[in-house]
Amino acid sequence: MTTQPDRARTPFGLRLAAWYAALFVGSAVVLIALTYLLLASSLRQRDQEIIQSTLEKYASAYEQDGLQGLNDAIRSDRVAGQHETLFVRAIGADAEAIYFSAPEDWSGFNLARLDAAPAPGTEVWSDVRAAQTGDVLEVASVRLPDGIIFQVGKSTRSRGELLARFRTVMLLAFASVILIGLTGAAVITRSALQPIRHLIDAVRRILATGRIEARVPARATGDALDQLSGLFNSMLDRIEALIAGMRGSLDNVAHDLRTPMMRLRSIAETALQSEAGSDAQRDALADILEESDRVGAMLNTLMDISEAETGTMKLARERVDVADLFRETVELYSDLAEEKHLTLAASSTPGLTLDADHNRLRQVMANLVDNALKYTPAGGTIALAGRAEDANVILEVRDTGIGIPPADLPRVWDRLYRGDASRSERGLGLGLSLVRAIVEAHGGTVAVQSDSGLGSTFTIVLPMEPRSSTK
Amino acid sequence: MRLLVIEDDRTIASFLVKGLQEAGFAIDHAEEGRNGLALALTEPYDAAVVDVMLPGLDGLSLIEEMRRRKVRTPVLILSAKRSVDDRVRGLQAGGDDYLVKPFAFSELLARVQALIRRSTGETQPTRLVVGDLVLDLISRSVERAGAVIELRPREFTLLEYLMRNAGRVVSKTMIMEHVWNYSFDPRTNVVDVLVFRLREKIDRGFEQKRIQTVRGIGYVLK
Repeated sequence: MTTQPDRARTPFGLRLAAWYAALFVGSAVVLIALTYLLLASSLRQRDQEIIQSTLEKYASAYEQDGLQGLNDAIRSDRVAGQHETLFVRAIGADAEAIYFSAPEDWSGFNLARLDAAPAPGTEVWSDVRAAQTGDVLEVASVRLPDGIIFQVGKSTRSRGELLARFRTVMLLAFASVILIGLTGAAVITRSALQPIRHLIDAVRRILATGRIEARVPARATGDALDQLSGLFNSMLDRIEALIAGMRGSLDNVAHDLRTPMMRLRSIAETALQSEAGSDAQRDALADILEESDRVGAMLNTLMDISEAETGTMKLARERVDVADLFRETVELYSDLAEEKHLTLAASSTPGLTLDADHNRLRQVMANLVDNALKYTPAGGTIALAGRAEDANVILEVRDTGIGIPPADLPRVWDRLYRGDASRSERGLGLGLSLVRAIVEAHGGTVAVQSDSGLGSTFTIVLPMEPRSSTK
Repeated sequence: MRLLVIEDDRTIASFLVKGLQEAGFAIDHAEEGRNGLALALTEPYDAAVVDVMLPGLDGLSLIEEMRRRKVRTPVLILSAKRSVDDRVRGLQAGGDDYLVKPFAFSELLARVQALIRRSTGETQPTRLVVGDLVLDLISRSVERAGAVIELRPREFTLLEYLMRNAGRVVSKTMIMEHVWNYSFDPRTNVVDVLVFRLREKIDRGFEQKRIQTVRGIGYVLK
């Protein structure tokens, strides 16, 4: 299990390093080879130019002043120190050398191969290889009009020595290129794979410890791997929030259920102590039924809240007409409002619709109106208002009730929270939490504004169309 | 009327069997899925009450197997799960019904009777009569002891519902669903208010109070 990521990582890293090194060394080889070829060919060209110009010079000297002119030209060159490394031969019409000059150590060349005479007026190039040293004598021959064959040659030895030195230097350079290439490959592979290694480490830590807090270090380079790390971290954040939410709601459910469970217990216990078959026992049984219905309702609400808060609530979205929504809400509560001598009125911009879960919105409106009815004294008014604002629908529930003290305002959305003023009213204290959870699950917001003694206004802002993306 | 109850929890099963017997049904009970299926396939029942979570063979597979074998007994599915999954939705579409635990017995009874009514195609009466109380569904009028009673539309709907279930306790949840079509529980006493108003109109001045409160369960019209 633990070796698997290693097996998966090593070949990839190695492959990456090998590719890098191969590319690096390969381009160095091409560069060195090109430089070498260029150098060799330009050296060769220079030698040939020397041979050719010398040949032409001597030939013209011979043509002007005969053998004497040639001797003069050679002598002056020798004085100038230019002649040492050149082979010069003049062959007479009778195939006898009439002039010969060559450095002493050039004995290895088989000069007999140069005897083939070129056609008059043309220049012929021939190579003679030295038997032992492998040096090559490059010779240009020309036949003058009077039958004399002129030959000037140059050994490739000095050129060869130069190239040999160059090769040595290049070999050293190549060795360092390989070294740099391999080191570079190792470094680059390492740094390129670092985010992936961090990712692997993070996942491994989570798997090993079961704790989701591990994160991949951010590098802020903005490249694909950095994005991957970022996305991975966001995913972990989301998972962590979900787990925390679920854990939280589980704790809340357990906590919220203890009180009604305790009530059930005490009712049953009291009933057991009273006379069998008495009215007190019948009452207790009825109390227990009512209480257990409340527990059931509470469980449903808690489930709804945690589903909405963790984003797992399924919303059956449809076109919801705000006027219909208000009408249904008013119908549900009109009798009760009448009973309590309250005015329940609704008004909305005609044709105002939004994309939402109709049933959930009815729940939201019912909870808000329910709440308003509870805290508004007789003669008061509860007004529902709906209007469009930008791409949102604003739903308002305004009452002329007792209001919410400023200290309680931020906490009205908390689960099971009830301000002092509302302790006497029956309710589960979950209504507003559910309202907020449902609205937020729709991508909307809720707010409350209240003046103690004058009334409260709950404002819901819902997007007309569901947001296309979450981020 | 013969009913099959397939439920493995003994307490719930005996609660159902006892209640349904008192309501006049003949009951067969199976605690396990395979036995239940065997009964459902061999005996002619008017309806069945089947729990989803069963040992042996789960409730939904059981119903699917019944349907595959062309047994059309209507089924009321019981489940502790709140969310209705796709399989249940499929069965619901086939005419079966669905009830979430915990439920009030009166609600189960009403649903079973509705299932049987639907499957036997029993014709709906146009007049509902309970003693001196008469409700005409065509003229939408109500009389008690010959005197016409004016009702608001919602009061009429509630009375009709109570009269259809005359003698049986109807829970607040059932009234919420039937009268307002709200499938959740608004926590204020909306139902109480409506029942109170209806009672004022029906029972005021009469010795015999027709609409009675059954504490902890709901209301009954007798």
